Amino acid sequence: MKRCPFTQILAGAVATLFGLTLAACSTATPTVEKSAAPQIPQRTKEQMVDLGRQHKTAADLFKALHDEAKGGQRLSPAALPDWSGIYTRVIVPGFPFDPDQPPGGLPPAKLTPEYHSRMLKRIEDVKKGIEWDPISTCSPPGHPRWLTEPFLREFIVTPDQTWLVNEMVNDIRRVYTDGRDHIPEADRYPLYNGDSIGFWDGDRLVVHTNQLQSGIYQRSQPDYTDQVETVEIWYKADDKTLRADVWVYDPPALTEAWFTKQSYAKLDEEGKKLRIRYWHCGENENNSVFQNRQGTTEFRGFTFTK
Amino acid sequence: MIKATITFLSLAAVAAVLSVTAVVSVLPVPAVAHHSATMFDQVKTITVEGVVKKFEYTNPHSWLHVDVKNKDGSVTTWGFEAEGPSTLQRSGIRPSDFAAGTKLKISGHPMKDGTPAAIWTEATRADGKRFDPREGFKVK
Repeated sequence: MKRCPFTQILAGAVATLFGLTLAACSTATPTVEKSAAPQIPQRTKEQMVDLGRQHKTAADLFKALHDEAKGGQRLSPAALPDWSGIYTRVIVPGFPFDPDQPPGGLPPAKLTPEYHSRMLKRIEDVKKGIEWDPISTCSPPGHPRWLTEPFLREFIVTPDQTWLVNEMVNDIRRVYTDGRDHIPEADRYPLYNGDSIGFWDGDRLVVHTNQLQSGIYQRSQPDYTDQVETVEIWYKADDKTLRADVWVYDPPALTEAWFTKQSYAKLDEEGKKLRIRYWHCGENENNSVFQNRQGTTEFRGFTFTK
Repeated sequence: MIKATITFLSLAAVAAVLSVTAVVSVLPVPAVAHHSATMFDQVKTITVEGVVKKFEYTNPHSWLHVDVKNKDGSVTTWGFEAEGPSTLQRSGIRPSDFAAGTKLKISGHPMKDGTPAAIWTEATRADGKRFDPREGFKVK
C-alpha cells in the first residue's frame, strides 16, 4: 500500500481541529502499521446482490461484514491508502443511480408497488414537461443521492475519520472509523448525509449510514424514505478508479436491498489548475427557480432581460 | 433534422436569430447541477451571432450574456446557461475565453416561453475557436 504524505498531514490537521489525538482514541480495534490483507471475500455482483437479500437490514449486513473482517483494523498514519487526487463520477447517460439501468428503461431496483407507481408517474410527468428537483432550492442532494452527483470529489483518509467530499454545495460525508457506534436511536433525527461509521478491512473501507432524510436517487429516479440506510465498501479498483459497492435498504420503498457499483474516475487535474472551490449555490440570481402551480420548474426572472 | 419556424420569440428577437433547428435524434442534455431543464425546448437549437456582454462564471450554473443586434437596430441580450466553473474548466472554457466584447456565434436549446435564454450547447468565436461546454463531463 502506498503512503500518502498529503493525507498524513491532513490527518494531523483533522486531529488538531477536532481535539482528537491518536493516543486519546480508545477502541478495541487493533491498529496496523501496514494494511493487512482483506478478510471479506471478493464477490461477484450476483453474490453481492444475494448478500443483500440474505440480510434484512443494513445494520445486519454491516455486522456480518464486520464479523467477516474479524472486526477490521484501525489504520495508523503510516498505513493510509492513497486516495489523493480529484475524482468525478463516471457518467452514465441519463445520470441514473444504478449504472446498470438500461438506456430508456426503468431502474433495476425492486420497488414496492407504491414507489413503483410513483416512479411511473414521475416519468409520465417529465414527458409532459413537469419536473421539480428538490435541490433547486439549493439544499444539498443528501445521501444516497450524494453518490450520483457529477461534479468534483476528494477522498481524505485519516486514521479516525475518512471524509468523502463532493464539490457541490461543499458537501462532506464524515465516516468515523475510530470504533464509535451510531447515535442512540432515541436521539436520532433526519440528516442530509446521515450518520456514518465504518471500519477498514485491509485497504477497503466498509461504511454503514443511517439517520437519513427522504429524497430522490436523482432526477427521473425513484424516491427514498427517511428509513433509508446504506452499506458501502469503498476501494481503489485501479490507479485511476475508486469504487463503492453499495447496498441500499429502505423497507417502505424497496422490497429488497438495491445493490449498485458506483465508480469514480481520477482526473488529470489539467496541470494542477483544477481545484475545488467554495460552492455558493445562491450567488447568481439568474439561477433562482421556483415550483409553479403546475408543479414544474420556473425561473424567477433574469437580470439580462430587465 | 427538421427546420422549424419560430413562433415563440419576440419580433425583435426573431430578426436576430440565425436559425432554429429541431433535432429529434439527440438525447436531452440535462442541466444537472441544480434545477430541471424542463423550461427549455431540448429538441430545438437556436443560433445567434453577437458580442459578449458579460460572463457570469458562477455556481451552480454559469451564464454567458450575449448582445445580439436585431434587424431594426435594437439589441437583445441573450443568456446562455451552462454548468458551473469546474465543469466549464474541464471543457476548456475559462473566463478569459469570453471577455466582454468577444465576437461569437453561439447555439443552444431555447426556452419554451420565448424568453431570450437557452442552454448553451456550442460557441465559435470570431477567431474560429470552437467551445462545447458539455465536454466538461468527460473523464480525461
